[in-house]
Amino acid sequence: MSETSSSYRVQYDLRPAKQVERRMIIDALQRLSTAGFPITDYQYTGFGAIYFVDFILFHKLLGMSRLLSLEQEPSLISRVEFNKPFSCVDTRMFPASSEIPNLSRDIQHIVWLDYDGVMDKSFLSDIQSAMTILSPGSVLLVTVDVEPPEDYDYKEVDPDFDSSKKVLGPKEWKDYFEYHASSFLRLGLSEEDFGKSKLVLRSAEILRAAFTKSIVARPELEFLPMFHFVYKDSHKMLSMGGMITGRAEKRQLRASTLRDTVYYRDTFDAPPFEITVPRLTRKERAYLDRQMPCADGWVPDEFVLEAEEVRRYSEIYRFLPAFAEILL
Amino acid sequence: MKYASAEVRKQFFTEMFTRDISLEDCVLDLIDNSIDSYLVKHGISTAQLIFGSDGTDPGRPPGAINVTCTERQIKVADTCGGISRPRAVNDIFCFGYEEAPHRGRLGAYGVGMKRALFKIGNNFHIVSRTAQEGFEVSLKVDDWVEQEEWRIPITFIEGADSEKKAGTSITITELHEEVAQRIKQGGVPNNILNDAATTYPYFLDRCVTLNINNTDVSPEPVPLGEKDGVVKSANEKFEQNGVRVTLVATIAPGQRTTEQAGWYILCNGRVVVRGNKDDLTGWGSDLASFQPKYRSFAGLASFESDDPLRLPWTTTKRGINRESGVFIQARGLMATMSKPILSFLNSQYPSDPTTETADIRGAVEGVTRIDFKDIASRPPSGFSYKAPKKKEKKTDWVRFQASVASLDKVRRHVRRPSLTPSDIGKLTLDHFVKTECAAD
Repeated sequence: MSETSSSYRVQYDLRPAKQVERRMIIDALQRLSTAGFPITDYQYTGFGAIYFVDFILFHKLLGMSRLLSLEQEPSLISRVEFNKPFSCVDTRMFPASSEIPNLSRDIQHIVWLDYDGVMDKSFLSDIQSAMTILSPGSVLLVTVDVEPPEDYDYKEVDPDFDSSKKVLGPKEWKDYFEYHASSFLRLGLSEEDFGKSKLVLRSAEILRAAFTKSIVARPELEFLPMFHFVYKDSHKMLSMGGMITGRAEKRQLRASTLRDTVYYRDTFDAPPFEITVPRLTRKERAYLDRQMPCADGWVPDEFVLEAEEVRRYSEIYRFLPAFAEILL
Repeated sequence: MKYASAEVRKQFFTEMFTRDISLEDCVLDLIDNSIDSYLVKHGISTAQLIFGSDGTDPGRPPGAINVTCTERQIKVADTCGGISRPRAVNDIFCFGYEEAPHRGRLGAYGVGMKRALFKIGNNFHIVSRTAQEGFEVSLKVDDWVEQEEWRIPITFIEGADSEKKAGTSITITELHEEVAQRIKQGGVPNNILNDAATTYPYFLDRCVTLNINNTDVSPEPVPLGEKDGVVKSANEKFEQNGVRVTLVATIAPGQRTTEQAGWYILCNGRVVVRGNKDDLTGWGSDLASFQPKYRSFAGLASFESDDPLRLPWTTTKRGINRESGVFIQARGLMATMSKPILSFLNSQYPSDPTTETADIRGAVEGVTRIDFKDIASRPPSGFSYKAPKKKEKKTDWVRFQASVASLDKVRRHVRRPSLTPSDIGKLTLDHFVKTECAAD
């Protein structure tokens, strides 16, 4: 059993920021659907693990029924099969690297490479595959962990590394990123550029370079950014994604109502949309919701909440889940 | 206005640009011209040779190309149709390609023949005859370099009278010292033979025959394999800027060496890259670095165009111009379609082997040769491996320890003291099945 598989580490269904991200992506896909993209007929390929949260949402809310979940941890096979939520979910116990290249060229896809690890050369190789074969109109989304690489990550760079003698820092993190993505990093970066707070920026630069590298090989197509999220439930995560377009899809995308949303990013130059979930009680949320959408600068009278917190809440309240205990 | 001189010097052509190509590739450049003559004369497209039937035509005798390589001379003589006088006068001795539409398939840049002549020796003699007309050129290069003019004396001679005899003969003598030295060292004719065999698999015995120092050259096709119902190759097709691209990646049949593994790249049917496993085709960047466990990998990328200048080959035809748009697009696909094959080859060596591992190894060993054209004729699809169906077991072992006393009891009961323990096992099981179980 691999301790690195996140199915063993993360309780997928209880991550509010992640859930906000999912709901925003679904909102975006609904808007694309309205703009004429036949989202219902798209194939969704993702990493459903044993929870299949995104698969359930995509099937129920978007009506998608071509669903493919990839899982590369062999010890999970029986649980993956057992937890498959619908008969239309196809599961394959293969890594993305061998399945993405074989995705059908004849249909459009939503591919969410929702990795749970820090930047890795295999992610970049999967992006290359997806960007090379996905048909115009397809959406590619990539999520990576942007916390500093852990000891077991670094062991790949330096097998002699002894965690009892040394603590990893920016120098090793720089080595790590150079090991996995040297050709995607810009020249002249120093150790400081790999400090903990800079890793989100470095990871974003790498993903962006990976998208560009592969799309320029298809001169008739472009990759138009749509999503650029940063959020944190336990680990800080970065998601970037967009649509592969020809001229027709580009026009269609530009004409959609996506640009009316707070989370849409049509360029990766703009700062990411940061999903911050305020800590509020159920009663406070019910009170705030009655005022939503609220005017700029509005704050509640009944209890103290800063205007900035209210603003952040107003951006995500439509997408924010409410958790409650159910007795099974 | 003042001007700086930017004139062309003959030494550049005779001494400089001859350094970037090997002696063997120079000879192949001359062979290219012979093949090209034949293709143009008979209006044969490279697509016909690669994707058509076997390319032979009983009504069309193949062109014969004979190469002689000794310390004294290198000679390439063919019966491939000859060069017309207008082309001789206006085109073939010029440096650079003609502005007119390119009629050739393998000649693109207008440098190959001249570079070969200059590289090899100081004296060349060319005789070329079409059925109707002919010409002859003799030149001492060192004398020509001294002269101001950029022209070469030419003599018109009679034609060959018959299409069968029409052809060109190029003889280079007064070999440069270094060239003679290399030939003296030995191995050059062998290299030319081996290079030609792997460079022209789509031409040899399909439209031309090739003979080097009286030894016939047999084509060595790029090895591609499949196993019916188990291993199916990946293929992709696209067209960009007048270049038709066909890509196939699969497992090669038979025992492979590391040297043979990798990508083969064809430009208009001519193999320009053999067994590549470096960054050119994505290895070590988009793909894992090559390791011996991948030695069964074989990929073939064919670029084809009516205008050879659009193809991604370099002038030596031994490499690829990485800045070619059509190659950049192809390279992405080549890397992508290879990934499932590398995963598959990887799975031959898991940390703890299972029966599935044996199936995979069996599949790799069991692939048999398949033609490029047969794979290319299918719609694009990815590489696939389907584990062979297990044969249903009809029998199984029953093996256990029984007490000698109970065995003797049975022997006494059936009154057959010579029964072996195995006989007793079978007897009692049969008895149970007969007397206690329902009939099938």
